[in-house]
Amino acid sequence: MKPPSENHDLTRWLDGVMSDAERSAFEQHLAEDPALSREANALKSLRADLRTHLPAEMNVPYGDFFNSQIQVRLAQEESRRVSDSAHSPVAKLLHWLKKPWLALAGTAAATAVLTVALLRTPDADSYSRILSSYTPDIRVEARSFHDDAAQATVLVLDGLDEVPAERKVSGINVHRSENEPEIAATALFDAGGKRLLTISRDAVGNPQFTVTPPRG
Amino acid sequence: MRAFALLLSLTLCASALAQEAAVPPTEALPTMKPATEGQVWGALIFATNDAAQLTGSKEKEPDHLQGLDARLAKVFPFKHFEILGQHQQDIFRQYESWVVPSRDLFLKIDSKGPADKGGVNIHLQVWREQQVLVKSDAILRPGSPLFIGGPKWRNGRLIFVLSLDERKAR
Repeated sequence: MKPPSENHDLTRWLDGVMSDAERSAFEQHLAEDPALSREANALKSLRADLRTHLPAEMNVPYGDFFNSQIQVRLAQEESRRVSDSAHSPVAKLLHWLKKPWLALAGTAAATAVLTVALLRTPDADSYSRILSSYTPDIRVEARSFHDDAAQATVLVLDGLDEVPAERKVSGINVHRSENEPEIAATALFDAGGKRLLTISRDAVGNPQFTVTPPRG
Repeated sequence: MRAFALLLSLTLCASALAQEAAVPPTEALPTMKPATEGQVWGALIFATNDAAQLTGSKEKEPDHLQGLDARLAKVFPFKHFEILGQHQQDIFRQYESWVVPSRDLFLKIDSKGPADKGGVNIHLQVWREQQVLVKSDAILRPGSPLFIGGPKWRNGRLIFVLSLDERKAR
């Protein structure tokens, strides 16, 4: 196999691009190397045959149409690539973020969110509060909190004895009351003015109920 | 004898007239309604998940507390809330005020004066018959009811609601 430099020189010799000195030196080398000489003759013969059977120049059929279609396709591809990238979610977001009015709108939105948050967070001065609690029974625990969803303040008493299921817990509907300070009692009346109960204190200060007025 | 009887009659009449003249004239005192700090609505409510346990009470919440069931349900995990009894009560400025929607569970309120930024400062006691369950100092403000989770009853719970009436709050 010939070294690459010889192949390169052979090609240049066949193409006729060597200088006179180079051509002279290469042809001296051909004379001394029969194998190289045979290969050079074969290539020379092949080139002659090709030139005999093929024209030196050949027009591309419908060349203008071909070129224009290539350009059209390239333009379409470019357009599709730009379009695809522009319609991707990320591209849309980036494009949207570049809108000049976004800064103003963003500021307004942030302000609105902050305002709503502040409005939804009740001010401690706007709702009822349990300041302190004391449970005489050490088994009972009182805990209090404000529930925003219920819009109520909650005082939960845990550890209370359960009311027996058989006990009938009943209610009354008290419409108004009257204080009777001279006998330290409060009379409770229904909507029709009927006296329902009278509350007074017993000797140790516990409330006691009487259904009939204490004064008879 | 007739002279003696006449003299006795004159003496008795003079004595009666003298006594009548000695009694000072009396005037009816005007009726004074005690000063108040506002009005509260208190109710005893039975909360349960078992509709069969409801007592059948038909009591309704006042207009200013519409949707009370839904608000209670956000705090207490029950499906049904039944008002057993209710009581509208003035908060007296100088006297104790009792809120008694039931004799089983009721409140005593002592006013401690108006609160800053609205409402009223109170000392609150929750009573169960003859036993005080809790004593609290609190600020009661209109539109912000107080839910008091009381004892369990029939697989449910008794809840006391106390609300300062916005319309009558000072």
